[in-house]
Amino acid sequence: MQRLLQPPPTRIQLQSRLLITAAVFLFLYATVLTLSPAARERTWDTAYRWTHWLGYASWCFSIGMIHWQVRRKAPESDPYLLPVAALLSGWGLLTIWRLLPDFGLRQAVWMILCALLVFLGLRKPGLLRALRRYKYVWLVSGLLLMSLTLIFGTNPMGGSQRLWLGCCGFYLQPSEPLKLLLVVYLAAYLADRMPLKLRLFTLLAPTLLLTGIALLLLFVQRDLGTASVFIFIYASSLYFASGRKRALLASGALILLGGLAGYFAFDVVRLRIDAWLNPWLDPSGRSYQIVQSLLAIANGGILGRGIGIGNPGLVPVAHSDFIFASIAEETGLAGTVGLLLAIGLFTARGMTIAISAANRFQRLLAAGLTTYLSAQSILIIGGNLRLLPLTGITLPFVSYGGSSLVVSFVSVLILMQISLTEEEEPAPLPMTQPYRLLPALLGLGLLAAALVNGWWAVARSPALLTRTDNARRAIADRFVMRGSLLDQHNTPITVTLGESGDYTRAYLYPDLAPVTGYTHPSFGQAGLEASLDNYLRGLQGNPASLIWWNQLLYGTPPPGLDVRLTLDLELQAQADELLGDRAGAVVLLNAKNGEILAMASHPSYDPNRLDQIGETVAGSPSAPLLNRATQGQYPPGEALSPILDVLNIRMEKEIQSLYTSFGLYETPDLRMPVAIASDPKEPLLVSPLQMALAAAAVSGNGVRPAARIAQAVNIHPQGWVILPPNSGPVEALPPADARSVSQALNIPDTNFWQCRGQARRDGSVYSWYLAGTDANWQGTPLAVAVVLEANRPDLAESIGQKLLGTAVE
Amino acid sequence: MSGPVLLVLRLLITASIYAFLGWALWALWRDVQQQSALLANRKIPTISLNIRPAREELRVSHFVQPEILIGRDLAADVRADDETLSARHARLTYHHRQWWLEDLQSTNGTFLNRERLYTPTVVVSGDQVDCGSMTFTISLATESINPPTQKIPSQLDDLD
Repeated sequence: MQRLLQPPPTRIQLQSRLLITAAVFLFLYATVLTLSPAARERTWDTAYRWTHWLGYASWCFSIGMIHWQVRRKAPESDPYLLPVAALLSGWGLLTIWRLLPDFGLRQAVWMILCALLVFLGLRKPGLLRALRRYKYVWLVSGLLLMSLTLIFGTNPMGGSQRLWLGCCGFYLQPSEPLKLLLVVYLAAYLADRMPLKLRLFTLLAPTLLLTGIALLLLFVQRDLGTASVFIFIYASSLYFASGRKRALLASGALILLGGLAGYFAFDVVRLRIDAWLNPWLDPSGRSYQIVQSLLAIANGGILGRGIGIGNPGLVPVAHSDFIFASIAEETGLAGTVGLLLAIGLFTARGMTIAISAANRFQRLLAAGLTTYLSAQSILIIGGNLRLLPLTGITLPFVSYGGSSLVVSFVSVLILMQISLTEEEEPAPLPMTQPYRLLPALLGLGLLAAALVNGWWAVARSPALLTRTDNARRAIADRFVMRGSLLDQHNTPITVTLGESGDYTRAYLYPDLAPVTGYTHPSFGQAGLEASLDNYLRGLQGNPASLIWWNQLLYGTPPPGLDVRLTLDLELQAQADELLGDRAGAVVLLNAKNGEILAMASHPSYDPNRLDQIGETVAGSPSAPLLNRATQGQYPPGEALSPILDVLNIRMEKEIQSLYTSFGLYETPDLRMPVAIASDPKEPLLVSPLQMALAAAAVSGNGVRPAARIAQAVNIHPQGWVILPPNSGPVEALPPADARSVSQALNIPDTNFWQCRGQARRDGSVYSWYLAGTDANWQGTPLAVAVVLEANRPDLAESIGQKLLGTAVE
Repeated sequence: MSGPVLLVLRLLITASIYAFLGWALWALWRDVQQQSALLANRKIPTISLNIRPAREELRVSHFVQPEILIGRDLAADVRADDETLSARHARLTYHHRQWWLEDLQSTNGTFLNRERLYTPTVVVSGDQVDCGSMTFTISLATESINPPTQKIPSQLDDLD
């Protein structure tokens, strides 16, 4: 209580303290932005960002100038408005600079222009009276400017909406000042007429006419977001003046009806509403913007990725319509809640000024301006958050855009002028309801925005961030070392080369491409690169605390872990050489523990050249991307007939039961993409891997092992940690049966058994060859399966025999 | 390492936003306290009108609201069906710690102590007001009879 007794700071003292806090905030912001490349590349030796300090300097200059003028001319004006406007505009300016330095420079110039306007405006105490007196002049000139866009309109961003008037690199969007002028006009007109409470419609005719003209212009220009802001301004002004809730309800109905009519009449509206209702249907097309915005917000999380460390540039028009998403990504929920609170503070102060205004005109003007700025903020923030349909309007003070910034600062100027008259007795307030209900509505809007932001940033964040259209994963790959794929003797197969910021994936053994797959920024991931992604990306195997810490510090996963495969590159090279350019697949595995020693699938492609050949191979009829060894589906045909003969199996039912115990109706469970096994009720299709496992059951004394491709992962500091198979071995045949099969099918003078056969389907002929070590073999039992997409059983046999021969040596 | 250094800075950024908001809210709260303390000491003194309409009996009306409309209008606070009275004839308003009488451009004029009124004028207890053929005298609750403590603005525009 002691502190309460101290004299409170004067208004100008309070304003200067708040401005200093805002300046400190922006200083820290700019500092982090300068240092951010160091965190991205995880080294101090990097190119730092400096240019945005020019933006900071121009902000300091602008705000300092206004503050100096307020101290001289209007020390008793409201001390909160300028600091909030300064905080938001500086935050916006630096965010724009961080995204697009050229646009940041332009915004800085506009900022100084705004400061000059406010500087001059504060010297004109008759400003409010002039606004009231010449209300028609202002509004009509605004409408004229707006209608000029019909003839001379341009779009500096090259879009189809021609909403700007431009000359010599200087562009004005007349719909922005028109909003302000409409508020002024309505306040002046209604303040003059409102005490006469009767004949509402005759009274409103002129305002309806002028607002109607404005709306018509906007509809012709397809600027529907601004049109809805206009309807809202009109409705709230009427409500403030008359206190009739009907005004609000009618305009709500009008916006709804307009939206519905627009849905059927304008493509733009339909697109926006469809994208709002169900963005997940077309995330790469119509709802690309909103989905990317949500991804940015999700990436922000609670604390944000850090200024300059996130990737808000992935959202289209991030500096203008989607600046809220950028802020959400880099400062997180903590930052955006602060932003929403600042808007709430502005709204509360504006309403306080309105209530204590000295006359009805000033009250309506203050209330109208506050509602307009606040509602527009909620509308576009809601659009960014998918709380409301997306409208192409700016976030006042924050978004890029000179017209918007000027109008926002002129609004602050007017509000400060009105607050100066607080010295006088407030005008009588006959109806308090509008001044309670509308601020409450706006507050609810801000609260809803904060809650929805939390929903995307916390609850839905993990699900959103793993989406394949989240380009942040591919960007993280450029900055964080990805784990290597090694063969069983630790010979590298696929590695990451280069420096942080410029890491690229190199495929040292391109023939293995269908098996190891690729990881590519635009084609995504395939093969082992996809199925082992969590290890290679460091999200699995590393302690959770390390992953969390890296995510917090850098917004990326920790450096990836190396994975050792069961493949033997020597055997692999021979398999590839033997298969040559024939379409087919070879699988060689250890029949005891299921380790895959060689897996070839041809035709292959060179993943190092995916940039150039990606489109071609993806559409190629020979399907080089397909791993035929595990995903290829071939009819077994006669391939297993010799075994059936040895076991004397003739009945259809018995055959199916043997096939079942061989695992032909069972999807192999290993850490790579495989084809789903056939349903027993449908014609049987098998992959070479399944056939190799069946052969392994013969060679392994009737026990069918579980296949393995990933052997171990190199975790610091433990070293190589074995990745156990996903399932266990299965008893497929009685050992006696397995022995009799391998003896019956034995190749004379060797320890091998073999069988081969043809299969036909849809006019194509396939050749199968299965082989393995027999029961007398003392070493590691091996099994091999070969399939050729041609009628060449002899060739299949020679490939299998040669490979097996090399493998036992 | 660059990460931890930047993390500290990032936390400071967040802290500075909330320092701004916290400071503003604290100042606002103090402002509200001050305002309410000020306003608690300021009340509208009750005004009583001893009304003597033409051809009707004398009656006394008490008002606590800050604005009283006199006229034939249905919405008027002091009403009489009297042809000499305009629909919105005159208005009594309380501001700057005074009750003010203002003629609303009535046909027959408003008279304060038998002098025609052209500008809003401060009234005190015992003043006699004539609107058309209606006459009333004003009596104010005692605390407001203090002499005006504030300078009266010379011109009162913008007061509808």
